[in-house]
Amino acid sequence: MSEFSGNGPIPDSPISDSPIYGLMAEFDSAQELVSAAHKAHEAGYQKIDAYSPFPIEGLAEAIGFHKNRVPLVVLIGGLVGGISAYALQYWIAAITYPVNIGGRPFHSWPSFIIVTFEMTILFAGLSAAIGMLALNGLPMPYHPVFNVPEFAKASENKFFLIVFSNDPKYDAARTRSFLNSLAPRMIAEVPS
Amino acid sequence: MTTATMNKSGLMAPPVAQTMQQRSLVIGVIAAIASVAGVFLAPGSFYSAYLIGFMFWLGLSLGCMAILMLYHLVGGAWGTVIRRILESGMMTLPLMFVLFIPILLNLPTLYFWARPEGLTDPKIAEIAHSYLNFNGILVRYIVYFVIWIGMAYFLNRWSTEQDSIVGQSTLRFRAMSSIGLVIYSLTISFAVIDWVMSLQARWISTIYGLLFIAGEALSAFCFCVVIESILGKRKPMSEYLTDTEVHDHGKFMLAFVMVWAYFNFSQWLIIWSGNLPEEIPWYVRRMNGGWETVALFLVVFHFAVPFALLLSRQLKRKARTLVWLASWLIFMRIVDIFWHIEPASHPTFHISWVHFAIVAGIGGLWMAHFFHNLRSRPLLAVNAPQTLRLLEPSHE
Repeated sequence: MSEFSGNGPIPDSPISDSPIYGLMAEFDSAQELVSAAHKAHEAGYQKIDAYSPFPIEGLAEAIGFHKNRVPLVVLIGGLVGGISAYALQYWIAAITYPVNIGGRPFHSWPSFIIVTFEMTILFAGLSAAIGMLALNGLPMPYHPVFNVPEFAKASENKFFLIVFSNDPKYDAARTRSFLNSLAPRMIAEVPS
Repeated sequence: MTTATMNKSGLMAPPVAQTMQQRSLVIGVIAAIASVAGVFLAPGSFYSAYLIGFMFWLGLSLGCMAILMLYHLVGGAWGTVIRRILESGMMTLPLMFVLFIPILLNLPTLYFWARPEGLTDPKIAEIAHSYLNFNGILVRYIVYFVIWIGMAYFLNRWSTEQDSIVGQSTLRFRAMSSIGLVIYSLTISFAVIDWVMSLQARWISTIYGLLFIAGEALSAFCFCVVIESILGKRKPMSEYLTDTEVHDHGKFMLAFVMVWAYFNFSQWLIIWSGNLPEEIPWYVRRMNGGWETVALFLVVFHFAVPFALLLSRQLKRKARTLVWLASWLIFMRIVDIFWHIEPASHPTFHISWVHFAIVAGIGGLWMAHFFHNLRSRPLLAVNAPQTLRLLEPSHE
């Protein structure tokens, strides 16, 4: 399982003028990866991403965490669920099929709250799952990083940092020497 | 960094804790003297006000204990950073034990079942004969506090011992906490039945204890956020408290705001649906005579507004913004308890200066005791799991 934070170019639209997707460096520990990511970000690289076998605290911030729009999708989903649940109950109980229950008003809002609450949660939860998949592009059958054989270890015990070739500061030789200065285990070119 | 190189004296509370302790004591003593004057100047307000102050500050002590037990069971950096705050908070229980005595000695003033006219109702006479009477209240009060202080004492003592032993098993903390949380839920339920629910004669609610459990946990988290906003700017807490942990505390606040609303709504919906004469008097009393404004105020400012604000990630991540909401929720906790207790003795809205004096009086003494406890040991339990990770430089 690798953490994909989606800073890179969209993989299914390969960059035509360059067959190189990016430069990848491999690290032994989470700390090394976080500090390498910090240095790369400080050096001005914007299109970078990091991969690890488990979530690492502070890594998203280190590569220049960008806000995603999942919370907004969830908020809208929750509001839609809640409002439609309340409207449905009102329509049934007060307009189309009013029944006198214990002399209470047809529009007895307290009894509508539970369904409204449950539908808010349901819609918000589904929006979170669907919104996440829609915004991060999963499922993704092909991704260039897997062209590097060592990358399989991203699911086991190794940590990877990649600088994408569409980064404005990207330069095959200079970026390679910069990554070298971070003392990685190895550096690999990632074919797209 | 290893434990050997870690400087325990560098982890002691900063001087501001001593200043806070002194100020709390001064405020506490002045307000306590004013409260004592209230016995004579405003006798009609004193005892219900005293019960409000007592229940709020007791709730904070017990909330700290419950959250500490939760931390021992589930672990996590969120709890390691506030562990000593929680321990110092729960070790104020002996003070609360003493502060119950004025209530014990004035049961007839507060409780209908303890008055001679209460016994003219045959059902109340039956309950008063078998359960709700002076001896029953006395015995159960001692039992509750022996259990609470006992659990708090051992968790606290073991924590001090852990500071000098490296690599010790945490089994006894976990064993005590797993049993302790069950015992806490049961004892606090019985305690609030004795002290708060029985204010409303002949009224019962099976969810009543849970209303207080949720409120006490919320109070404890809000209190921790307030303390970390003071200490988090200074060494040593600035070395290990990060936005990630503050964010977690904010999430807990959101969760307990929702749980509080959920329990309260459950009780209200069931009683509203049933609409039975023996169940509705509690709400009839609290939704008339001006108390309905307080009820609405609680719905909006104890639930709706804090809930909406706590959805924000930015607000939850910074102690300096979260502290405003935490302080507000502590105030709303007192309003909630006020709304539970005060209508029982006053059918129309009633508040007096004694309410403020007592909340500040007990609170000042409580805070002084708390800061005294906090200053006696390092602010971070040095040998607790997670502590080393918290002190690593890469911990952001």
